Amino acid sequence: MKKALMAGFCTLLLLAAVCAGAAPKSEDYYSVYSGELTSLNYLVVSTENEQAVAANVIDGLVEYDKYGVLVPSLATDWSNSSDGLKWTFNIRKGVKWVDNTGREYAEVTAQDWVDAAKYIFDKKNASLTADVAYSVIKNGKAYFEGKITDFSQVGVKAIDKYTLEYTLEKPVPYFLSMLTYVCFLPVNGQFLAEKGARFGTDNKTLLYNGAYIIQSFEPQVGRTLVRNEKYWDKDHVYIKRLIFKYNKEAGTLSPELFLRGQISDATIPSSLIDSWMKDPAKRAIVRPAETTMYTYFYAFNFNPTFDAQYEPDNWKIAVNNKNFRKSIFHALDKRAAMLTSEPYAPERRLHNTITPRNFVNAGGKDYVDMAELAQYAKTDSFNKSLALDYKAKAKAELAGKAKFPVKIMMPYNAGMSDWTNRAQVVEQQLESLLGTDYIDVIPVGFPATGFLGATRRKGNYAMQECNWGPDYADPETYTDPFVAGSNYNWPEMAVGYMQSNGKTVYENMVNQAKAEVVNIAKRYELFAKAEAYFIGEAFVIPYAIGGGGFIASKLEPFSYPFAPFGMSILKYKGQTVLPKPLSTEEYNKLKAKWEAERVEALKKSKF
Amino acid sequence: MTKYVLKRIGQSLVTLFIVVSVVFLLMRLLPVEGYFGDGYDKLTPEQRTAALQRMGLLDPWYVQLGRFYLNLAKGDLGTSIIYRRDVPVLEIIAPRIPYSVYFGVAATAIALVFGLALGIGMARKKGKTVDKVGTGYIVLVNAVPSAVYLLFIQLYLTSFFSLPLLFDRYQVKSWILPTISLSLGGMAGYAMWMRRYMVDELNKDYIKLAMSKGLPEKKIMVRHVMRNAFVPMAQYLPAAILSTISGSIYIESLYSIPGMGGLLVDVIQRQDNPMVQALVLIFSSVGIIGLFLGDILMAIFDPRIKLVKGEGSR
Repeated sequence: MKKALMAGFCTLLLLAAVCAGAAPKSEDYYSVYSGELTSLNYLVVSTENEQAVAANVIDGLVEYDKYGVLVPSLATDWSNSSDGLKWTFNIRKGVKWVDNTGREYAEVTAQDWVDAAKYIFDKKNASLTADVAYSVIKNGKAYFEGKITDFSQVGVKAIDKYTLEYTLEKPVPYFLSMLTYVCFLPVNGQFLAEKGARFGTDNKTLLYNGAYIIQSFEPQVGRTLVRNEKYWDKDHVYIKRLIFKYNKEAGTLSPELFLRGQISDATIPSSLIDSWMKDPAKRAIVRPAETTMYTYFYAFNFNPTFDAQYEPDNWKIAVNNKNFRKSIFHALDKRAAMLTSEPYAPERRLHNTITPRNFVNAGGKDYVDMAELAQYAKTDSFNKSLALDYKAKAKAELAGKAKFPVKIMMPYNAGMSDWTNRAQVVEQQLESLLGTDYIDVIPVGFPATGFLGATRRKGNYAMQECNWGPDYADPETYTDPFVAGSNYNWPEMAVGYMQSNGKTVYENMVNQAKAEVVNIAKRYELFAKAEAYFIGEAFVIPYAIGGGGFIASKLEPFSYPFAPFGMSILKYKGQTVLPKPLSTEEYNKLKAKWEAERVEALKKSKF
Repeated sequence: MTKYVLKRIGQSLVTLFIVVSVVFLLMRLLPVEGYFGDGYDKLTPEQRTAALQRMGLLDPWYVQLGRFYLNLAKGDLGTSIIYRRDVPVLEIIAPRIPYSVYFGVAATAIALVFGLALGIGMARKKGKTVDKVGTGYIVLVNAVPSAVYLLFIQLYLTSFFSLPLLFDRYQVKSWILPTISLSLGGMAGYAMWMRRYMVDELNKDYIKLAMSKGLPEKKIMVRHVMRNAFVPMAQYLPAAILSTISGSIYIESLYSIPGMGGLLVDVIQRQDNPMVQALVLIFSSVGIIGLFLGDILMAIFDPRIKLVKGEGSR
């Protein structure tokens, strides 16, 4: 009891110190992980796992602060030309590249961004994030495809040692947010040439300009990151060492390791959460984990390729009937489905729009509260009477055309127990509400390996739970799965939506929004209208946002850079390891405080 | 004998060529999107083409196969394309082998010593307490999924004996439980088969004759029963020791041992072709050598077994 009181007292002292502005003290951070890095070469990798390392060892031009406001990083300031095409950045002077022992190698200069772009746009290097950069940089795509070979024609230039200029293909209102992505990080060209193909294959073949240095790196053993003592913003890096140990069964063992005090945080899997919540001692150290900007939705497939036994032709007739789609849209009890993943706080993850709340805002007004989307955002789509009304209409309209019950082939990943359970719940819930004379939901399990290739990507489903994560801070990023050429649910093949220009109503609405590059508030309004239309026509059923669950963690929440996408949120800069983990109550208090402060910070933000 | 060895080596090389070539071609039949993992949807067609080009997968299969054997002849197994991009395959594999071999050999030795001793004890005291306890242990190890009892051993014994939960090569204490855990299955196997073969031998006429002639029981057991009972197991012993190179999937995963366990499964799932080809080559070679040595060992234990046809045999 005394120990607990003392630990609580220490935590309060620490939090008080943070609030007072004094540099907080922190313990080292220990963690276990199960997914090993494939490469440290941040110019080519694309997964969050690899980006999490890059985020902590390499700094870019700008970064997000803890409220999600863009602030200078290696660029001290910047300007944008009146036509929106040229961005000029003044590079911070005196920032050093260091090697894995902390020894200085060179100064960071504007040329480092040019060298990085040249490497990324060279298709021989097969950078998995090249498209993010060449989608906006002038002539980037042409150089990547080999249509031009003179790199001086590409829109990245070092005007002088400390001045960098990007020229864009067209004005991109969210360009600054893109700069927090790995493909816009700098690299020292001389070092890159020295290392050749071995660049980034281990900690010795990498240079560092960020908050941490990778002191040791042994795949399948672990890695240790230590604070970069020559870091330009060292005063805001409080955790001196980050120690990661590999364990293939990390997911299973981490709660026990946390209880033994061997690691600083652990995700509590849904299979254990009951026992933790029933034990007062454990309940006191568990708290909600943050949600993410991944969006989850149930998609209706307009291009069914599934086996004849599931009657794809009949499905095609049914799914092209709006009332049929709407009947399922309103029949899906999202809360019941979510209980399979979040038995204690399902509401935290449930969502009624495709774009998550808090993703972007204009003048402090959240995107999901704009235009017609606002109505959807605040209304739970589950509505029994509406579902039955639409069912009656669909049955009348489809009489003689479709065969009832309509078979709904619904794949799930059998490697994930909560998804497996959810598939059964959704089947029973939909059939019990709408009747087995109307629909026959058929969950079909597929192995985890190659799951998406076997199901969604080839159209092998009628209705499926899908997800999507943003690539930049603009609602446009959430339209990508639904435009022609994507392989999600092919809404462009829905009957009755094509307009005279050969594009669907939705695509025309999206294009109209994309064309608005000056007035951000108007741009967001137009995207919100398009998204509301898409949901209103029931092409998909918005379901949830990602993340969530429960963790036991000594990491101080809401102190690290916050961002809706990219790698800022993966930084340990600004964080401390507390003497003891926070309880849910303590976490909720901090969250409420952070949310209030964030509203003010966003109002003051210029970007 | 030389002729026999040369013939076996020739057969082994043909077998290796077939196995490696078949695996090589099977890997090329896997879906292209498997090379990109979850990032597939975010890539443009141009990026996918560039990545496949870099991996050498856009060339015809016979060009790829020819390139593989040409490089192999130079001792180059290639570089990893996904698992650890751009790192030579041997550089990935080499540091892992010693861990798997240490744990495997140590566990096999423990299993042999204690398993055989238990099997002998059970055979000699058939139907008595030792036999019943031994049978209980064998049934338990075989009936309960190893994932369950190994996890229990890790969680409870590390706590009870204050041992580290995870392996750390600098902490000797952390080597103990994985080694013991790894030996449990083998120990049960050796005990079961030793008991069974010894009981079989004990019922044979020549043993009854030896007993009736008044030979001491110890002499009968050591010189006749145990030696003959061990012959069938001797054949598999070299393969068992050599195959330790492939590591233990579950034990290495549980204790964070950076060995070979699960590596092949990992690289197959990620479609890292050079890694798969190299591992298949190594594991197949080890398997073939193990069987070969097993045959020789069996001939040493049992003089009645001849590996080559004797003069005048028909």
